[in-house]
Amino acid sequence: MQRVGYVVLYVILIIIAIVQIFPLFWLFLFSLKDNQQIFAKSPFSLPDHPHWENYLKAWQGNIGIYFFNSVWISAVAIVLTVLFASMATFAITRMKWKLSKLVLGLFMVGLMIPLHSALIPLFKLYLSVDLIDNPISVVLSYTAFHLPVTMMILLGFYYTLPKEIEEAAIMDGCSVNLLFARIILPMTTSVLSTTVIINMIYNWNEFVFVNTFISSDQYKTLTVGIQNFIGQYQTDWGPIGATLIISIVPIIILYIFFSNKIVEGMSASAIKG
Amino acid sequence: MKKLKALSLLLALTLAAAGCGSSNQAEKDPAGSGGTKTIKFMHLWPEGTNAPQNKILNEIIADFERENPGIKIEQEILANEQYKDKIKVLSASNQLPDVGMAWPGGWLQPYVEGNKIASFDDVIDRDYRNKFVDGTIEAFEVDGKTYGLPTDLNIAIVYYNKRIFEQNGLNVPTTYDEFLHVISTLTNNGITPIALGNQERWTGSLWYMYLADRISGNETIVNAVNRKQSFEDPTLIRAAEEIQRLVDLGAFQKGYNGATSSEAESLFTSGQAAMYLTGTWVLPSFTQGENFTQEFKDSVDYFKFPTVEGGKGDINSFVGGNGGLFVSEHSTVKEEAKRFVKYFTEKFGERALGEAGIIPSYKLNADDYDLPELYLKVLKDLNDASSITLFADNIMTPGPAQVHLDMIQSLFGKEATPEEFVKAHEEALAKEAGE
Amino acid sequence: MNKVMSNIWMITLYILPALLLLLVLIYIPLGLSAYYGFLEWDGIGNMKFIGLDNFITGIQDMKFWSSVYHSFLLALFSALSLLAYLAISLILASNIKGSDILRKIYLIPMLLSSVAIAQLWIKVYNPTNGMLNSFLMAIGIDDPPAWLAEPSLVLYAIFIPILWQYAGFYILIYYAALKNIPAALVEAARMDGASPWQVAFNIKLPLIKGVFKVTIVLAIVGSLKYFDLIYVMTGGGPNGASEVMASYMYKVAFRSYDFGYGSAIGFLLLIITLMVTFIVRKLTVSDEEELQY
Repeated sequence: MQRVGYVVLYVILIIIAIVQIFPLFWLFLFSLKDNQQIFAKSPFSLPDHPHWENYLKAWQGNIGIYFFNSVWISAVAIVLTVLFASMATFAITRMKWKLSKLVLGLFMVGLMIPLHSALIPLFKLYLSVDLIDNPISVVLSYTAFHLPVTMMILLGFYYTLPKEIEEAAIMDGCSVNLLFARIILPMTTSVLSTTVIINMIYNWNEFVFVNTFISSDQYKTLTVGIQNFIGQYQTDWGPIGATLIISIVPIIILYIFFSNKIVEGMSASAIKG
Repeated sequence: MKKLKALSLLLALTLAAAGCGSSNQAEKDPAGSGGTKTIKFMHLWPEGTNAPQNKILNEIIADFERENPGIKIEQEILANEQYKDKIKVLSASNQLPDVGMAWPGGWLQPYVEGNKIASFDDVIDRDYRNKFVDGTIEAFEVDGKTYGLPTDLNIAIVYYNKRIFEQNGLNVPTTYDEFLHVISTLTNNGITPIALGNQERWTGSLWYMYLADRISGNETIVNAVNRKQSFEDPTLIRAAEEIQRLVDLGAFQKGYNGATSSEAESLFTSGQAAMYLTGTWVLPSFTQGENFTQEFKDSVDYFKFPTVEGGKGDINSFVGGNGGLFVSEHSTVKEEAKRFVKYFTEKFGERALGEAGIIPSYKLNADDYDLPELYLKVLKDLNDASSITLFADNIMTPGPAQVHLDMIQSLFGKEATPEEFVKAHEEALAKEAGE
Repeated sequence: MNKVMSNIWMITLYILPALLLLLVLIYIPLGLSAYYGFLEWDGIGNMKFIGLDNFITGIQDMKFWSSVYHSFLLALFSALSLLAYLAISLILASNIKGSDILRKIYLIPMLLSSVAIAQLWIKVYNPTNGMLNSFLMAIGIDDPPAWLAEPSLVLYAIFIPILWQYAGFYILIYYAALKNIPAALVEAARMDGASPWQVAFNIKLPLIKGVFKVTIVLAIVGSLKYFDLIYVMTGGGPNGASEVMASYMYKVAFRSYDFGYGSAIGFLLLIITLMVTFIVRKLTVSDEEELQY
């Protein structure tokens, strides 16, 4: 009886997995086709003869620069976001001060701002401090707009951390900074890698901020670069698919790396526990 | 630990420093530096879609830079939607690029009224005007001044599949009754008559604009927009009724109201639908594009939108529009930018058709070009055109244009009656005019 | 202990970087955008102060309220779908074989940008040769609907890709939370003879309640301001049947050039979201108190 249950369970899990992974497979097929095959034939169909030149087309131009920009802008923003969010969450959940609830509320409201209503004011703000067409504006926007969601995810974890640990640490004469850096941060490794992954996905695929704040080619990111392939009236979808594949591969590699980190982090904390 | 503190302070410092740091703006300002002047040029002609078009653009820019030492053109290439969004943010902050792409009529008007873009009256003369197709420069006029110079020109035509027509014993319709006969024959034979991607709504608008033109003549909608008459005109109601009649006849493919224009186009180009109404911008790909089969290229042809019996419009009237370039009023290199735009539009006009298959607003002689038959036919028809009615979103300002587009989808979906359709237009136009 | 953890300088040091970014880059724009809400402004020409007119227009605008209704439906669906994600996470976290690879695969849709996702699902839903209808016709359904063209269906059709896209996101969070539960606790319960069900319901779920509550808020807030896929796939149509608050706001501000009114809608969106979040939090708190008895 239990065996049957397991089989059913696995069948369901695998069907879900197929549904979830199919787009990647589809996108790959798509990237090897021409428009005619993409639009007129079944999406499952294999390319008649693979158009590898789509990848050549995609790799032309500034994609190397875009790629580099995507990497460093995402990375800097992730570090800032995760660090600042951890610090703030630590202050709100573990320290005792009167306004902590109010400040937490402020961050939660930050979650609710629709992007497009902030766009023109934000542009004016950066303009007034001469940060337009400067990647700092993008890094700062990513950090600010993803702080709330990052903190929300961290929050649930910080609440569950046992109080005894920090009490013991402080008794031992450990400073707040040491407590945070040596004890709290390592204890949250698994959720930290979760937030890193989430921020990575957000930043990597973000489009509106870069498109609005950046005009020089040398600072544009990969997602915006993809739009260079999308024209006024017609579209050349094969190379767009190829560009998308090129833009997804690094994030998949990073993701696999980081989700292994989660497991490592877990076994590390299990040993401590 | 020091690192942590340093990092958190760094951010505060960055913001503080930035707050008082606008003094270095002068360094960045190209006009102020004396040496080279930089013209920022924002456009949406990337290499990926029409490579020859992009090549012409780059060559003209290079020529201009060579002939005008000390001037540099800096390009920013965007996609259509992103371009329109970004222009919106930039203009709200008084930061329009020196040169950008413009559309006539309703798109232009708010920018002119907001004093954001410059007039070209001081750089263009009769000689320049004579080089362009009548009405294409005028399309950019507001209160007698010209705020844009034209680049490409497009009209909408009904493309059809010759092979499907032959197989079903059909002839090209010249009257609306014949057109209805074509539709009923095709539906009876189980063939989708018309591909329509009405998710994007401007596609359905083309059908309405043509029917309105054929039934009530080319003046009625323009007059209604200019508040010389009401939009609740019986002939405009009739045009809306005809749309719903086509819907009832099953003229459009299943799910037309949720289909994108590229879905509709692929339906037509793969021979699954017999007709497709769209602009002449598809000509390069329909005739030479590597994306389509030879079979399709051999069977594609077009006809002029049929006349309606008793209607006021004639068959040589087209729905269309042209694109162009504007110069920012607040540009620090305004004079240079105007010169560049004048130079660019002329050179582009000379080269666009021959080298990129794009029909320019520029007057040219079709015989000078070695072009596919379809092009020659279009050029001849353009020459004989009695009038060109602008696309609806070029006639109306953005507010009413959105109402129009929304109502188009409701009309096609039969969620609005023809009476409700014209009433919504009338209300939006009256509100915009402040009545 | 109390002294150290309530040192005002330490608190300032830890909260300030995040708070500063929040105030400068989110609250200043928010204030400005609220101010635009009081203007008649096309985003190009002159600004004219018109008081509360835009907000009054918003309250009377049926199109706006229908977009609110659609957003609420999406929020409800999203909140309900969390239960499914939680169930999957519980299974994955119970050390079954292959859970690692499955979890990684589930996140893949999140890695794709909205452009790609929208393209994919437009093709899935294509009425004549899309994957879905081809399948339905193959199993004998003669006339399957044109999903994205049917006003009564389009909102549900749009929800499926959203459900699909975010599955990995929530599973990732739940999985991390479940794995954070000390193994000793679960082991002890097992030793006492608790069944897997009992372990799940009596030990694991109560321990990740905090995380679950946070995800409810995330899901609801996220759906109330959801925009991307809907805009690309349907443009809010047909006839406004899939218009949500954020897409309506975008259209008014960026397509109809009514930036004043658009800002007012953005502000109403914020207020509505705040109220919903407040109610949800009140409800989840009372739940918790009941559970404690």
